[in-house]
Amino acid sequence: MKDAPLYLRPRVDPPLASLLGDVPFLHSLVDVLGSPLNVLLPEVVAENAERFRSVYRRHHLVGRVYFAHKANRSSALVRRLAACDPAGVGIDVASLEELRHALSCGFTGDRVMATGPKDREFLWLAARVGATVNLDSVGELELLAQLVRTYGLGRVDVLARLSGFESDTGHGGAGTRVLSRRSRFGTPLAEADELWAALERHQDAVALTGLAYHLDTTGLEEKARALERCVLAMDECRARGLAPRVVDIGGGFGVGYVAEAGEWERWTTALSEAVLGARPSLTWRGHGYGLRNEGGTVRGAAALYPAHRPVAGPGYLDQLLSRTAPVLGRPPATLLLEHLNDLYVEPGRALVDQCGLSLARVLDVRPMDGDPTRHLVRLGMNAGDVSLEEHGVLVDPVLLPRGDSRDAAPDDGPVGVHLVGNLCLEADLITRRLVFLPRLPRAGDLLAFVNTAGYVSDFHAHHAQRQPVARTVAVTEEGGARHWCLDEDYWPLTHPQGVPS
Amino acid sequence: MRYDSITEAIGNTPLVRIDPSVHGLGNIDLYAKLEMLNPFGSVKDRPAWHMARPHLEEAAGGDGTVVELSSGNTAKALALLAGLHGLKFKSVTNRMRVPEIKELLLLLGAEIEELPGQSECLDPTDTDDPLTRFHQALSEPGSRYLHTDQYFNPRNVEAHAAGTGPEIVKDLDGQAPDWFIACVGTAGSSTGVAQVLREHDPQVRVLGLVADKSDFIPGIRTIDEVHQVGLFDPATYDSLASVTSQEAIDGMVTLIRRCGLLSGPTGGAAYQGAVRHLASVDAGLAGTGRRQSAVFIVCDRAESYLSYVRQRRPELLGRARRGPSVSSLTDSEIRAEARVIGVEDARRWTAEGDPRPLVVDLRGPHAYAALHIEGSVNIVDEMFEELVRTGLPFSRRTPVLLACPVGEKSLRYAALLTRMGHPDVRSLAGGIVAWRDAGAPLTRE
Repeated sequence: MKDAPLYLRPRVDPPLASLLGDVPFLHSLVDVLGSPLNVLLPEVVAENAERFRSVYRRHHLVGRVYFAHKANRSSALVRRLAACDPAGVGIDVASLEELRHALSCGFTGDRVMATGPKDREFLWLAARVGATVNLDSVGELELLAQLVRTYGLGRVDVLARLSGFESDTGHGGAGTRVLSRRSRFGTPLAEADELWAALERHQDAVALTGLAYHLDTTGLEEKARALERCVLAMDECRARGLAPRVVDIGGGFGVGYVAEAGEWERWTTALSEAVLGARPSLTWRGHGYGLRNEGGTVRGAAALYPAHRPVAGPGYLDQLLSRTAPVLGRPPATLLLEHLNDLYVEPGRALVDQCGLSLARVLDVRPMDGDPTRHLVRLGMNAGDVSLEEHGVLVDPVLLPRGDSRDAAPDDGPVGVHLVGNLCLEADLITRRLVFLPRLPRAGDLLAFVNTAGYVSDFHAHHAQRQPVARTVAVTEEGGARHWCLDEDYWPLTHPQGVPS
Repeated sequence: MRYDSITEAIGNTPLVRIDPSVHGLGNIDLYAKLEMLNPFGSVKDRPAWHMARPHLEEAAGGDGTVVELSSGNTAKALALLAGLHGLKFKSVTNRMRVPEIKELLLLLGAEIEELPGQSECLDPTDTDDPLTRFHQALSEPGSRYLHTDQYFNPRNVEAHAAGTGPEIVKDLDGQAPDWFIACVGTAGSSTGVAQVLREHDPQVRVLGLVADKSDFIPGIRTIDEVHQVGLFDPATYDSLASVTSQEAIDGMVTLIRRCGLLSGPTGGAAYQGAVRHLASVDAGLAGTGRRQSAVFIVCDRAESYLSYVRQRRPELLGRARRGPSVSSLTDSEIRAEARVIGVEDARRWTAEGDPRPLVVDLRGPHAYAALHIEGSVNIVDEMFEELVRTGLPFSRRTPVLLACPVGEKSLRYAALLTRMGHPDVRSLAGGIVAWRDAGAPLTRE
C-alpha cells in the first residue's frame, strides 16, 4: 500500500529561510570546512532577546532575560548577546568554563547568573566577578558564605531557588492539587524556614536579591502556581527584613519545530496506529517512542517533544503572565508589578530559536534489504552531532541538492529513508523515524537540519571513533552580501571582514 | 414517584423526536436520548453507579476513597455516590479544562489532583509517566483506594447494555433504529448500546464521533486518545468521524434555541455530527418512499459550559457593557483628560495638602497588605471598575490621588473620573514602583 508521505517539515522563519535558499553558499562552506558543519545566525539571537523584552514592556515589567548558555557552546551567540542592552540581557552559566567563556565574550560579572550544581572554584569566580549566584540549597549557601569570608570576596547577590510547590498547602484556596515532576534542584518550600534563617545568619556574606524556580514542564498551570507562590514568599522574606526584588521564573518556554499542525497531528496519529499494527511501521524496527500495544490498546506515554507548538517562546511567556493565578485571582504579571517585583527569565532553547542549522553530506544511498521502497541514507555525521533523538525532537531535514544533479531523473518522487550516521555502530541512527524526503538524495547532496542551535547541534557531540566534530561558522549579512567566519573569530562588529579603506 | 434512594432514579430517560423542520432530514426520524435528565445530570450516572456499586456496598462507612481518572461527569456522579455512602472521592486528571466543572466538583466534596504537563527538557529514557505512578499507588499494599477504572471496566459497558440500549429499543416499539450516533469518550455508551441494538438488528449502523485532534470537546476523545481506551474496539463502529468545538457549539445552540433541550456541547456535537452524516443518507432515501430512524445521545446539560462557550463564541453571551468604563476611552482621550502628579509633588500633596487627597491604591489586597502608601485605602481595580459604573464613589470636594503599580491603570481611571465630573483627581506618575524607587516611605500591614 502506498501512503501519502508523512512529512514533518520544519518551521523556517525568514532569516534562516534566506540562508537555506542559498544552496551554493552552503555547499561551498561544507566543501571547505567538512561535514558535519553548524551554521549560526548571531543576529537572530539578538532579535529573539528583543522579542522577550517586548513581552516585558507590554506588561510594564523590568528585569533581565538571561540566556541559558548550556543550550549552545557557540562564542558568536554569546558575544552577540553581550552586545545587547546590559540592563535587558544577561547570561545564565552552569559551570566554571561557561562562566569563563561568558566573561571572555564580553559579559561583565554583574550580568551573569550562576546556576546549577556548583563546585568551589565556580563559586569563587562567580563571587569574585560580582555574578549573581542562584543558590541550589542551604548547603551551597554555607559553602559560598565560607568562601566569601575566607577570601574576602565582598557581599554576593544571591537568588534562592525553590522547589516542591506541589505539596505546599500554606496558602490553600486554589482547591485542587496540581502535581509536578519532582526536581532534584532547589530548596523545597516546606524547608524554606531553614533557608530564610541561613540567609539571615549569613547577611554579612550574601544579599538575597530574589527567589527563583524552574519547572520542567510545558504546563502553564504548574508554572503559574509556582510564580504566585514565589510572589507570596517574597512578601514573607520582606516581612523578615530581607530585601529581595526579583522573581526568577527560569526557562522552558519552548520552540515550535514543525511548521504545520496538520503534519504533526497526522504523524502522531499514525504512530498510534503503527503501534497497534494497523499500518506499517514509521520507525526503525517498529520503535514506539514510549507507546506500546497491550491487547489492542495503546499504553504508555509518547516520549516526544511537542514539535508543533502553537504558542512558544515569548508568546508562551506572555500567556503565562496573562492567565489568572489560582489563589490570588490576578494575572502573574499584575502580581509581579503590584508586589513591586522585577522579573528574570532564563530561556535557552527559545532564545536560540531559528538561530542555526546543521549540515551533513550524503555519503551513500542504498535500498534496504527486504524493502526496496525504503532506503538507507548514510550521512557524514552521527547521532551525537544532531541529537534529535536525545531530546525527542522529530523534524525533517531539508534536502539541498548538489548543483549538477538537481535536474536529473524526473521520475523521482517522495521517498522514505532511514538516516544513519558515520559510526561503526548499529545504533547510530540520526533519527529512529522513517524520514520522507521529496526525492531520493544522492551522494554529494547536503541535508540541512534546521533550527538546531538549542541543545541539538553540539550538546552531545563527541570524538568517538575519532570522527570529526562539527565546526561552527557564524553568518552575517551586510548590504545584501553574506559573510561568514569561524565561530571563534566572530565579534559583534559591523564589517566582519575589516573596515574597507 | 417515590424512591428510597436517589440512585433508583438513574435511567429510564426520555427519547424525544427532533422536529424535522429543525434538522431538515425529510426521510429520517431523528431522536435524542436525553441522558442529561439522569439525577446527577449526565449519561455517566449509569456507569458510575454500576461500576461503583460493588465497591460502595462493601466499603460503606469505612475510610476508603473512590478514585477515578475523570475531569467531568463521571467524577461528578462518583463524588455524589461516594458522599452518599460516607466515602471520599478523588479525581485525577490532566483534562480539567472547564473551570465551572472544577468548582462544581469541589462543591461536591471531591479532591482533585491535576497531573503535570509534558516535560520541556525531555528525557526519552524516562518511562515514568504520571499515569504509571498513579496505577502503582493504587496497587500498593494497604491501599484504601477503590478504583472504578472507567476506561477499562467492563461494567461501564454493561450499564448501557442493560439500561440505555434496551430503553431505546423499547421506546421505538421494539425496533432498533437504523442509525446510532455516539460521541466516544470511554466508549462505554457506544459499545453497550451498539451491542444491544445489533442483537435486535444486525443492520444497525453505528457512527462514532471523536474530537478534532487540535480541538477540545468535553467528554469526547481525539482519534489518538481513543486508542488508549481499553473499552474502545474499532469494530463497534461502522465509521468514525471527527467534530470540532465550533460544530459542538452550533449543535448545542440549535438544541437549546430550537428544540427546548438544554444540551451541553457534547450533546451538541452528537447532534451536529449526526445531521452532517445523515444528510447524504437522507438524500439517498428521497423518492424511495423508505424512512429511517436515528438516535443520538444528549450527554449532559448546558449550564456548566458557559466559560467554554465564552472562550470560543463570546458573541453568544454578548453582555452589553453599561455605564462609564475605562475601556470606552481612547489613548488620546486618556492623555488629554488625565492629570498626573510626580512622586515628589505627590508626597508634598499627601503631607501638606489642604484638604489632603484621598489616596486610592488600585492593586490587589495582598500587594497592598505587603507594602503601601501610609493612609491609602485599597480598592482593587476590578472592584473600582464596578463602583464607577454606578457613579462617582466619592465626593467632588475630596481630591483623589490614584495609585497603581506603574501609573498606567491609574491614568485611565483619572481620565474617566475627570470625565465623570470630578474636579481634582490625579494619577501617581510611575505608580508605586516610582514611589519606591524615589525612596518614598511605604508601610506594611
